[in-house]
Amino acid sequence: MQNFNLEDITPEELFNARRHFLKLGAGALVSSSALTHLMAELPKQNALHYTPSTNPDKLILNTEEQATNYVNFYEFSTDKVAPVKMSQKMKTSPWSLGFFGEIKTEQMVEVDELIAKFGLEERIYRFRCVEGWSMVVPWIGFPLYKLLDYLEPNSNAKYVKFTTRHEPAMFPDQAKGIFASIKHPYVEGLRMDEARHPLTFIAVGMYGKRLLPQNGAPMRLVVPWKYGFKSIKSLDLIECVTEEPRNTWQDQNPDEYGFYANVNPEVDHPRWTQAKERVLGKLFKQPTLKFNGYEKEVASLYAGMDLRKYF
Amino acid sequence: MKILLIFLALLPLMWAGYTLPSAIDPIKMLSNVTGVGAIVLLLISLLPSTCKRLCHFNFIKYRKTLGLLAFMYTLFHVSAFVILDAELDLTFLIEKSLKKPFIYIGAIAFVILLFMALTSFKKLFAKFSTYHKAVYLALALALFHSFWAQKVAGVFEYSVVAVGVVLLGERVWAWKRA
Repeated sequence: MQNFNLEDITPEELFNARRHFLKLGAGALVSSSALTHLMAELPKQNALHYTPSTNPDKLILNTEEQATNYVNFYEFSTDKVAPVKMSQKMKTSPWSLGFFGEIKTEQMVEVDELIAKFGLEERIYRFRCVEGWSMVVPWIGFPLYKLLDYLEPNSNAKYVKFTTRHEPAMFPDQAKGIFASIKHPYVEGLRMDEARHPLTFIAVGMYGKRLLPQNGAPMRLVVPWKYGFKSIKSLDLIECVTEEPRNTWQDQNPDEYGFYANVNPEVDHPRWTQAKERVLGKLFKQPTLKFNGYEKEVASLYAGMDLRKYF
Repeated sequence: MKILLIFLALLPLMWAGYTLPSAIDPIKMLSNVTGVGAIVLLLISLLPSTCKRLCHFNFIKYRKTLGLLAFMYTLFHVSAFVILDAELDLTFLIEKSLKKPFIYIGAIAFVILLFMALTSFKKLFAKFSTYHKAVYLALALALFHSFWAQKVAGVFEYSVVAVGVVLLGERVWAWKRA
Protein backbone atom coordinates (compact mmCIF):
# COMPACT_ATOMS: atom_id res chain seq x y z
CA MET A 1 0.00 0.00 0.00
CA GLN A 2 2.48 2.59 1.18
CA ASN A 3 5.68 1.87 -0.63
CA PHE A 4 7.19 5.31 -0.62
CA ASN A 5 10.03 6.13 1.67
CA LEU A 6 9.18 8.57 4.41
CA GLU A 7 12.31 10.61 3.80
CA ASP A 8 11.49 11.10 0.13
CA ILE A 9 8.53 13.24 1.05
CA THR A 10 9.01 16.96 1.58
CA PRO A 11 8.79 17.51 5.31
CA GLU A 12 5.63 19.29 6.33
CA GLU A 13 7.44 22.33 7.73
CA LEU A 14 9.55 22.75 4.62
CA PHE A 15 6.46 22.37 2.47
CA ASN A 16 4.66 25.06 4.43
CA ALA A 17 7.75 27.27 4.43
CA ARG A 18 7.97 26.94 0.67
CA ARG A 19 4.31 27.85 0.27
CA HIS A 20 4.79 30.81 2.53
CA PHE A 21 7.82 31.77 0.51
CA LEU A 22 5.92 31.57 -2.77
CA LYS A 23 3.04 33.54 -1.33
CA LEU A 24 5.42 36.43 -0.78
CA GLY A 25 5.45 36.68 -4.56
CA ALA A 26 8.83 38.26 -4.40
CA GLY A 27 10.93 35.45 -5.71
CA ALA A 28 13.09 37.76 -7.80
CA LEU A 29 13.89 40.05 -4.92
CA VAL A 30 14.55 37.50 -2.28
CA SER A 31 18.16 36.77 -1.66
CA SER A 32 19.37 33.38 -0.60
CA SER A 33 19.91 34.76 2.90
CA ALA A 34 16.16 35.23 3.29
CA LEU A 35 15.67 31.58 2.52
CA THR A 36 18.34 30.60 4.97
CA HIS A 37 16.59 32.75 7.52
CA LEU A 38 13.30 30.94 6.85
CA MET A 39 15.02 27.58 7.15
CA ALA A 40 16.57 28.55 10.45
CA GLU A 41 13.17 29.36 11.83
CA LEU A 42 11.86 25.87 11.13
CA PRO A 43 10.80 24.22 14.33
CA LYS A 44 12.99 21.63 15.92
CA GLN A 45 10.42 19.03 14.86
CA ASN A 46 12.26 18.66 11.65
CA ALA A 47 15.50 17.59 13.18
CA LEU A 48 14.85 13.89 13.73
CA HIS A 49 17.74 11.97 12.24
CA TYR A 50 17.23 8.27 12.50
CA THR A 51 18.05 4.92 10.95
CA PRO A 52 14.99 3.88 8.92
CA SER A 53 13.41 0.50 9.51
CA THR A 54 13.65 -2.13 6.78
CA ASN A 55 10.19 -3.31 7.84
CA PRO A 56 11.29 -6.96 8.11
CA ASP A 57 7.76 -8.23 8.80
CA LYS A 58 6.42 -6.37 5.71
CA LEU A 59 3.72 -4.75 7.81
CA ILE A 60 1.26 -2.40 6.14
CA LEU A 61 1.38 0.98 7.86
CA ASN A 62 -1.73 2.73 9.07
CA THR A 63 -1.95 6.31 7.91
CA GLU A 64 -0.54 9.10 10.04
CA GLU A 65 -4.02 10.62 10.06
CA GLN A 66 -5.46 7.47 11.66
CA ALA A 67 -2.70 7.08 14.24
CA THR A 68 -2.82 10.74 15.30
CA ASN A 69 -6.61 11.13 15.44
CA TYR A 70 -7.69 8.06 17.42
CA VAL A 71 -6.05 7.88 20.82
CA ASN A 72 -6.60 6.90 24.42
CA PHE A 73 -5.27 9.71 26.58
CA TYR A 74 -7.38 9.77 29.73
CA GLU A 75 -5.36 12.70 31.12
CA PHE A 76 -7.38 14.76 28.64
CA SER A 77 -10.58 12.80 28.00
CA THR A 78 -11.96 9.28 27.74
CA ASP A 79 -13.02 10.14 24.19
CA LYS A 80 -10.83 8.91 21.32
CA VAL A 81 -10.87 12.16 19.33
CA ALA A 82 -11.21 14.94 21.94
CA PRO A 83 -7.59 14.70 23.20
CA VAL A 84 -6.35 15.72 19.74
CA LYS A 85 -7.62 19.28 20.10
CA MET A 86 -7.33 19.44 23.87
CA SER A 87 -3.63 18.60 23.85
CA GLN A 88 -2.40 21.08 21.26
CA LYS A 89 -1.31 23.66 23.82
CA MET A 90 0.65 21.10 25.79
CA LYS A 91 4.18 22.34 26.36
CA THR A 92 6.48 19.43 25.65
CA SER A 93 9.78 21.28 25.52
CA PRO A 94 11.80 21.74 27.65
CA TRP A 95 10.99 18.44 29.35
CA SER A 96 13.27 16.44 31.56
CA LEU A 97 12.79 12.92 32.85
CA GLY A 98 13.70 11.79 36.33
CA PHE A 99 15.60 8.53 36.83
CA PHE A 100 15.43 7.21 40.37
CA GLY A 101 15.50 4.11 42.54
CA GLU A 102 17.92 1.21 42.41
CA ILE A 103 20.37 2.73 39.93
CA LYS A 104 23.93 3.98 40.09
CA THR A 105 23.22 7.71 39.99
CA GLU A 106 19.77 9.23 40.40
CA GLN A 107 19.40 12.10 37.94
CA MET A 108 17.21 14.28 35.73
CA VAL A 109 17.93 14.37 32.00
CA GLU A 110 16.48 16.51 29.19
CA VAL A 111 14.70 14.65 26.39
CA ASP A 112 17.01 16.16 23.74
CA GLU A 113 20.02 15.07 25.72
CA LEU A 114 18.71 11.49 25.81
CA ILE A 115 18.18 11.59 22.05
CA ALA A 116 21.75 12.81 21.53
CA LYS A 117 23.08 10.12 23.86
CA PHE A 118 21.33 7.08 22.43
CA GLY A 119 20.68 8.02 18.79
CA LEU A 120 17.43 7.28 16.99
CA GLU A 121 16.12 4.41 14.94
CA GLU A 122 12.78 3.55 13.40
CA ARG A 123 10.72 0.53 14.45
CA ILE A 124 7.60 -0.54 12.58
CA TYR A 125 5.43 -2.31 15.14
CA ARG A 126 1.93 -3.70 15.45
CA PHE A 127 -0.06 -1.93 18.16
CA ARG A 128 -3.04 -3.73 19.72
CA CYS A 129 -5.40 -1.99 22.12
CA VAL A 130 -7.15 -4.05 24.81
CA GLU A 131 -10.41 -2.57 23.48
CA GLY A 132 -10.08 -4.60 20.29
CA TRP A 133 -8.63 -2.18 17.72
CA SER A 134 -5.17 -2.29 16.23
CA MET A 135 -2.81 -0.43 13.94
CA VAL A 136 0.74 -0.49 12.56
CA VAL A 137 2.91 2.51 13.47
CA PRO A 138 6.45 3.55 12.45
CA TRP A 139 7.89 4.69 15.78
CA ILE A 140 11.16 6.60 16.16
CA GLY A 141 13.23 6.29 19.30
CA PHE A 142 15.72 3.99 20.99
CA PRO A 143 15.48 0.62 22.75
CA LEU A 144 14.97 0.91 26.50
CA TYR A 145 17.96 -1.34 27.24
CA LYS A 146 20.30 1.42 26.00
CA LEU A 147 18.88 3.74 28.64
CA LEU A 148 19.06 1.02 31.31
CA ASP A 149 22.68 0.28 30.41
CA TYR A 150 23.41 3.95 30.96
CA LEU A 151 21.55 4.06 34.30
CA GLU A 152 23.23 0.89 35.61
CA PRO A 153 20.52 -0.68 37.79
CA ASN A 154 21.90 -2.51 40.86
CA SER A 155 21.07 -6.07 41.93
CA ASN A 156 17.95 -4.94 43.85
CA ALA A 157 16.36 -3.67 40.64
CA LYS A 158 13.80 -6.32 39.67
CA TYR A 159 11.22 -4.14 37.94
CA VAL A 160 11.04 -0.86 36.08
CA LYS A 161 8.28 1.53 37.08
CA PHE A 162 7.08 4.26 34.69
CA THR A 163 5.03 7.31 35.65
CA THR A 164 3.25 9.87 33.47
CA ARG A 165 3.82 13.51 34.34
CA HIS A 166 1.43 14.81 36.97
CA GLU A 167 0.68 18.41 36.05
CA PRO A 168 -3.02 19.29 36.45
CA ALA A 169 -2.53 22.60 34.63
CA MET A 170 -1.51 20.62 31.55
CA PHE A 171 -3.74 17.55 31.92
CA PRO A 172 -7.34 18.61 32.74
CA ASP A 173 -8.47 15.19 33.97
CA GLN A 174 -5.77 15.34 36.67
CA ALA A 175 -7.41 18.50 38.01
CA LYS A 176 -10.78 16.81 38.54
CA GLY A 177 -9.98 15.20 41.90
CA ILE A 178 -12.45 12.45 42.76
CA PHE A 179 -14.25 13.03 39.45
CA ALA A 180 -11.15 12.07 37.44
CA SER A 181 -11.74 9.21 34.99
CA ILE A 182 -8.82 7.18 36.42
CA LYS A 183 -6.38 7.53 39.29
CA HIS A 184 -3.52 9.90 38.45
CA PRO A 185 -0.68 9.89 37.75
CA TYR A 186 -0.76 6.95 35.35
CA VAL A 187 1.68 4.20 36.35
CA GLU A 188 3.01 1.25 34.39
CA GLY A 189 5.63 -1.39 35.03
CA LEU A 190 7.74 -4.07 33.40
CA ARG A 191 9.78 -6.94 34.77
CA MET A 192 13.51 -6.17 34.31
CA ASP A 193 13.91 -8.86 31.62
CA GLU A 194 10.89 -7.47 29.73
CA ALA A 195 12.29 -3.96 30.03
CA ARG A 196 15.67 -5.12 28.72
CA HIS A 197 14.15 -7.02 25.77
CA PRO A 198 15.45 -5.60 22.48
CA LEU A 199 11.87 -4.96 21.24
CA THR A 200 11.00 -2.72 24.21
CA PHE A 201 11.24 0.80 22.90
CA ILE A 202 11.23 4.42 24.03
CA ALA A 203 9.62 6.55 21.32
CA VAL A 204 10.09 10.26 20.71
CA GLY A 205 8.59 10.32 17.25
CA MET A 206 6.46 8.61 14.64
CA TYR A 207 6.02 8.94 10.88
CA GLY A 208 9.37 10.68 10.63
CA LYS A 209 8.45 13.48 13.04
CA ARG A 210 8.38 14.23 16.73
CA LEU A 211 5.44 12.72 18.61
CA LEU A 212 2.38 14.91 18.57
CA PRO A 213 1.03 15.79 22.04
CA GLN A 214 -1.95 13.43 21.69
CA ASN A 215 0.38 10.49 21.02
CA GLY A 216 2.25 10.97 24.28
CA ALA A 217 4.86 13.63 23.56
CA PRO A 218 7.63 14.15 24.21
CA MET A 219 8.62 10.62 25.22
CA ARG A 220 6.66 7.41 25.70
CA LEU A 221 7.07 3.69 26.11
CA VAL A 222 6.20 1.19 23.33
CA VAL A 223 5.95 -2.51 24.21
CA PRO A 224 4.65 -4.11 21.01
CA TRP A 225 3.66 -7.54 22.39
CA LYS A 226 1.50 -6.08 25.17
CA TYR A 227 -1.86 -4.34 25.07
CA GLY A 228 -1.56 -0.64 24.33
CA PHE A 229 -2.25 0.52 27.88
CA LYS A 230 1.21 -0.74 28.89
CA SER A 231 2.76 1.75 26.46
CA ILE A 232 2.58 4.69 28.86
CA LYS A 233 2.60 8.24 27.48
CA SER A 234 4.33 11.54 28.35
CA LEU A 235 6.85 9.96 30.70
CA ASP A 236 7.97 11.84 33.77
CA LEU A 237 9.72 9.22 35.89
CA ILE A 238 11.51 5.96 35.27
CA GLU A 239 12.40 4.10 38.43
CA CYS A 240 14.14 0.80 39.00
CA VAL A 241 12.38 -0.92 41.89
CA THR A 242 12.37 -4.16 43.87
CA GLU A 243 8.63 -4.85 44.05
CA GLU A 244 6.20 -5.32 41.16
CA PRO A 245 4.62 -1.90 40.57
CA ARG A 246 0.83 -1.78 40.65
CA ASN A 247 -0.09 -0.44 37.23
CA THR A 248 -3.03 1.95 36.80
CA TRP A 249 -5.47 -0.36 34.99
CA GLN A 250 -4.83 -3.26 37.32
CA ASP A 251 -5.48 -0.89 40.19
CA GLN A 252 -8.65 0.37 38.49
CA ASN A 253 -10.09 -3.09 37.84
CA PRO A 254 -7.95 -6.09 38.90
CA ASP A 255 -10.44 -8.65 37.53
CA GLU A 256 -10.07 -7.26 34.04
CA TYR A 257 -6.52 -5.96 33.75
CA GLY A 258 -3.34 -7.54 35.01
CA PHE A 259 0.30 -6.62 35.32
CA TYR A 260 1.47 -8.55 32.26
CA ALA A 261 -1.23 -7.63 29.71
CA ASN A 262 0.40 -9.71 26.98
CA VAL A 263 -1.66 -9.75 23.78
CA ASN A 264 -3.30 -13.18 23.76
CA PRO A 265 -6.18 -14.24 21.50
CA GLU A 266 -6.75 -17.30 23.71
CA VAL A 267 -7.40 -15.36 26.92
CA ASP A 268 -10.58 -13.28 26.76
CA HIS A 269 -11.15 -10.01 28.49
CA PRO A 270 -13.99 -10.79 30.96
CA ARG A 271 -16.36 -8.63 28.91
CA TRP A 272 -15.27 -9.39 25.36
CA THR A 273 -13.24 -11.81 23.31
CA GLN A 274 -9.71 -10.93 22.19
CA ALA A 275 -9.64 -13.47 19.33
CA LYS A 276 -9.89 -10.86 16.58
CA GLU A 277 -9.13 -7.20 16.10
CA ARG A 278 -10.42 -4.22 14.16
CA VAL A 279 -7.58 -2.76 12.12
CA LEU A 280 -8.13 1.00 12.01
CA GLY A 281 -9.71 2.07 8.72
CA LYS A 282 -11.00 -1.43 7.91
CA LEU A 283 -14.59 -2.69 7.95
CA PHE A 284 -13.47 -6.30 8.41
CA LYS A 285 -11.65 -7.82 11.33
CA GLN A 286 -8.46 -9.87 11.35
CA PRO A 287 -7.28 -12.59 13.75
CA THR A 288 -5.18 -11.40 16.68
CA LEU A 289 -1.76 -13.05 16.93
CA LYS A 290 -0.31 -14.45 20.12
CA PHE A 291 2.02 -11.89 21.71
CA ASN A 292 0.76 -9.64 18.92
CA GLY A 293 2.91 -11.50 16.39
CA TYR A 294 6.12 -11.36 18.48
CA GLU A 295 5.80 -14.87 19.91
CA LYS A 296 9.11 -16.00 18.46
CA GLU A 297 10.92 -13.14 20.15
CA VAL A 298 9.23 -12.97 23.56
CA ALA A 299 7.49 -16.29 24.39
CA SER A 300 10.59 -17.51 26.26
CA LEU A 301 10.16 -14.68 28.80
CA TYR A 302 7.01 -16.41 30.02
CA ALA A 303 8.07 -20.06 29.82
CA GLY A 304 6.25 -22.14 32.42
CA MET A 305 3.88 -19.34 33.40
CA ASP A 306 0.11 -19.82 33.34
CA LEU A 307 -0.91 -17.02 31.00
CA ARG A 308 -4.55 -17.25 32.15
CA LYS A 309 -3.47 -16.50 35.69
CA TYR A 310 -0.85 -13.92 34.78
CA PHE A 311 -2.98 -12.06 32.24
CA MET B 1 -45.51 15.58 11.69
CA LYS B 2 -44.77 11.87 11.93
CA ILE B 3 -42.77 12.07 8.73
CA LEU B 4 -40.69 14.90 10.19
CA LEU B 5 -40.11 12.84 13.34
CA ILE B 6 -38.95 9.84 11.32
CA PHE B 7 -36.72 12.06 9.18
CA LEU B 8 -35.09 13.64 12.25
CA ALA B 9 -34.56 10.26 13.86
CA LEU B 10 -32.91 8.96 10.71
CA LEU B 11 -30.41 11.85 10.44
CA PRO B 12 -27.74 10.24 12.66
CA LEU B 13 -27.94 7.05 10.56
CA MET B 14 -27.50 9.04 7.36
CA TRP B 15 -24.55 10.84 8.90
CA ALA B 16 -23.05 7.47 9.89
CA GLY B 17 -23.46 6.16 6.36
CA TYR B 18 -21.93 9.30 4.89
CA THR B 19 -18.85 9.26 7.15
CA LEU B 20 -18.37 5.49 7.06
CA PRO B 21 -15.77 5.49 4.25
CA SER B 22 -13.51 7.88 6.18
CA ALA B 23 -14.18 6.46 9.66
CA ILE B 24 -11.01 5.53 11.56
CA ASP B 25 -12.69 2.69 13.50
CA PRO B 26 -15.75 1.99 11.29
CA ILE B 27 -17.21 -1.00 13.18
CA LYS B 28 -16.97 0.86 16.48
CA MET B 29 -18.48 3.99 14.94
CA LEU B 30 -21.51 2.06 13.64
CA SER B 31 -21.96 0.31 17.00
CA ASN B 32 -21.76 3.64 18.82
CA VAL B 33 -24.15 5.58 16.60
CA THR B 34 -26.75 2.81 16.59
CA GLY B 35 -26.35 2.07 20.31
CA VAL B 36 -26.53 5.70 21.40
CA GLY B 37 -29.49 6.26 19.02
CA ALA B 38 -31.35 3.27 20.45
CA ILE B 39 -30.95 4.41 24.05
CA VAL B 40 -31.81 8.06 23.37
CA LEU B 41 -34.92 7.10 21.37
CA LEU B 42 -35.97 4.58 24.00
CA LEU B 43 -35.78 7.32 26.65
CA ILE B 44 -37.70 9.74 24.39
CA SER B 45 -40.38 7.10 23.80
CA LEU B 46 -41.09 7.18 27.54
CA LEU B 47 -41.68 10.94 27.50
CA PRO B 48 -45.22 11.11 26.04
CA SER B 49 -46.86 9.41 29.00
CA THR B 50 -44.71 11.35 31.51
CA CYS B 51 -45.75 14.57 29.79
CA LYS B 52 -49.38 13.60 29.76
CA ARG B 53 -49.30 13.26 33.53
CA LEU B 54 -47.07 16.20 34.39
CA CYS B 55 -47.59 18.93 31.85
CA HIS B 56 -50.92 17.98 30.33
CA PHE B 57 -49.37 18.08 26.92
CA ASN B 58 -50.50 15.08 24.97
CA PHE B 59 -48.36 13.64 22.24
CA ILE B 60 -49.09 10.04 23.06
CA LYS B 61 -49.94 9.41 19.41
CA TYR B 62 -46.21 9.56 18.62
CA ARG B 63 -45.28 7.00 21.23
CA LYS B 64 -45.55 4.02 18.91
CA THR B 65 -43.48 5.71 16.20
CA LEU B 66 -40.80 6.61 18.76
CA GLY B 67 -40.79 3.08 20.11
CA LEU B 68 -40.47 1.58 16.66
CA LEU B 69 -37.64 3.98 15.80
CA ALA B 70 -35.85 2.92 18.99
CA PHE B 71 -36.33 -0.69 17.92
CA MET B 72 -34.99 0.08 14.45
CA TYR B 73 -31.78 1.49 15.95
CA THR B 74 -31.54 -1.55 18.22
CA LEU B 75 -31.94 -3.83 15.23
CA PHE B 76 -29.14 -1.99 13.39
CA HIS B 77 -27.01 -2.17 16.53
CA VAL B 78 -27.49 -5.93 16.84
CA SER B 79 -26.93 -6.37 13.08
CA ALA B 80 -23.65 -4.43 13.27
CA PHE B 81 -22.57 -6.76 16.07
CA VAL B 82 -23.64 -9.99 14.38
CA ILE B 83 -22.46 -9.12 10.86
CA LEU B 84 -19.41 -6.90 11.37
CA ASP B 85 -18.14 -7.74 14.84
CA ALA B 86 -18.93 -11.45 14.95
CA GLU B 87 -18.71 -11.83 11.16
CA LEU B 88 -21.68 -14.25 11.31
CA ASP B 89 -19.45 -16.71 13.12
CA LEU B 90 -21.66 -18.87 15.37
CA THR B 91 -18.80 -19.95 17.62
CA PHE B 92 -17.92 -16.32 18.17
CA LEU B 93 -21.55 -15.44 18.88
CA ILE B 94 -22.49 -18.29 21.16
CA GLU B 95 -19.30 -19.39 22.87
CA LYS B 96 -17.32 -16.19 22.90
CA SER B 97 -20.01 -13.55 23.29
CA LEU B 98 -23.30 -14.75 24.73
CA LYS B 99 -21.46 -16.03 27.79
CA LYS B 100 -20.39 -12.51 28.64
CA PRO B 101 -22.95 -10.83 30.93
CA PHE B 102 -22.57 -7.47 29.22
CA ILE B 103 -23.55 -9.05 25.91
CA TYR B 104 -26.44 -11.23 27.09
CA ILE B 105 -27.94 -8.39 29.06
CA GLY B 106 -28.05 -6.44 25.80
CA ALA B 107 -29.45 -9.49 24.03
CA ILE B 108 -32.32 -9.79 26.55
CA ALA B 109 -33.16 -6.11 26.05
CA PHE B 110 -33.19 -6.74 22.29
CA VAL B 111 -35.57 -9.70 22.64
CA ILE B 112 -37.96 -7.60 24.74
CA LEU B 113 -37.94 -4.79 22.18
CA LEU B 114 -38.37 -7.30 19.34
CA PHE B 115 -41.45 -8.72 21.09
CA MET B 116 -42.85 -5.23 21.57
CA ALA B 117 -42.23 -4.25 17.96
CA LEU B 118 -43.95 -7.40 16.69
CA THR B 119 -46.96 -6.86 18.94
CA SER B 120 -47.26 -3.13 18.37
CA PHE B 121 -49.90 -3.40 15.66
CA LYS B 122 -53.62 -3.15 16.28
CA LYS B 123 -54.83 -6.69 16.84
CA LEU B 124 -51.83 -7.98 18.70
CA PHE B 125 -51.41 -4.80 20.72
CA ALA B 126 -54.88 -5.24 22.21
CA LYS B 127 -53.85 -8.67 23.36
CA PHE B 128 -50.31 -7.97 24.52
CA SER B 129 -50.26 -4.34 25.60
CA THR B 130 -50.02 -5.21 29.31
CA TYR B 131 -46.75 -6.96 28.61
CA HIS B 132 -45.39 -3.78 27.07
CA LYS B 133 -44.54 -2.71 30.63
CA ALA B 134 -41.47 -4.86 30.00
CA VAL B 135 -40.02 -1.78 28.29
CA TYR B 136 -38.89 -0.65 31.74
CA LEU B 137 -36.87 -3.80 32.12
CA ALA B 138 -35.50 -3.38 28.60
CA LEU B 139 -34.47 0.19 29.40
CA ALA B 140 -32.77 -0.81 32.65
CA LEU B 141 -30.89 -3.60 30.86
CA ALA B 142 -29.93 -1.34 27.95
CA LEU B 143 -28.57 1.32 30.32
CA PHE B 144 -26.59 -1.30 32.20
CA HIS B 145 -25.32 -2.66 28.89
CA SER B 146 -24.14 0.75 27.71
CA PHE B 147 -22.53 1.50 31.06
CA TRP B 148 -20.73 -1.81 31.01
CA ALA B 149 -19.59 -1.55 27.40
CA GLN B 150 -17.10 1.19 28.28
CA LYS B 151 -13.68 0.79 29.79
CA VAL B 152 -14.67 3.69 32.05
CA ALA B 153 -18.19 5.15 31.90
CA GLY B 154 -18.25 8.74 30.65
CA VAL B 155 -20.61 11.72 30.62
CA PHE B 156 -23.06 10.09 28.18
CA GLU B 157 -23.45 6.90 30.22
CA TYR B 158 -24.02 8.81 33.47
CA SER B 159 -26.44 11.23 31.78
CA VAL B 160 -28.68 8.58 30.26
CA VAL B 161 -28.75 6.66 33.52
CA ALA B 162 -29.79 9.87 35.30
CA VAL B 163 -32.56 10.57 32.78
CA GLY B 164 -33.69 6.93 33.00
CA VAL B 165 -33.85 7.08 36.79
CA VAL B 166 -35.94 10.27 36.65
CA LEU B 167 -38.38 8.81 34.10
CA LEU B 168 -38.78 5.52 35.95
CA GLY B 169 -38.91 7.28 39.33
CA GLU B 170 -41.73 9.52 38.17
CA ARG B 171 -43.71 6.43 37.19
CA VAL B 172 -43.22 4.82 40.57
CA TRP B 173 -44.28 8.09 42.20
CA ALA B 174 -47.38 8.41 39.99
CA TRP B 175 -48.29 4.79 40.64
CA LYS B 176 -47.99 5.22 44.41
CA ARG B 177 -50.17 8.32 44.39
CA ALA B 178 -52.87 6.68 42.32
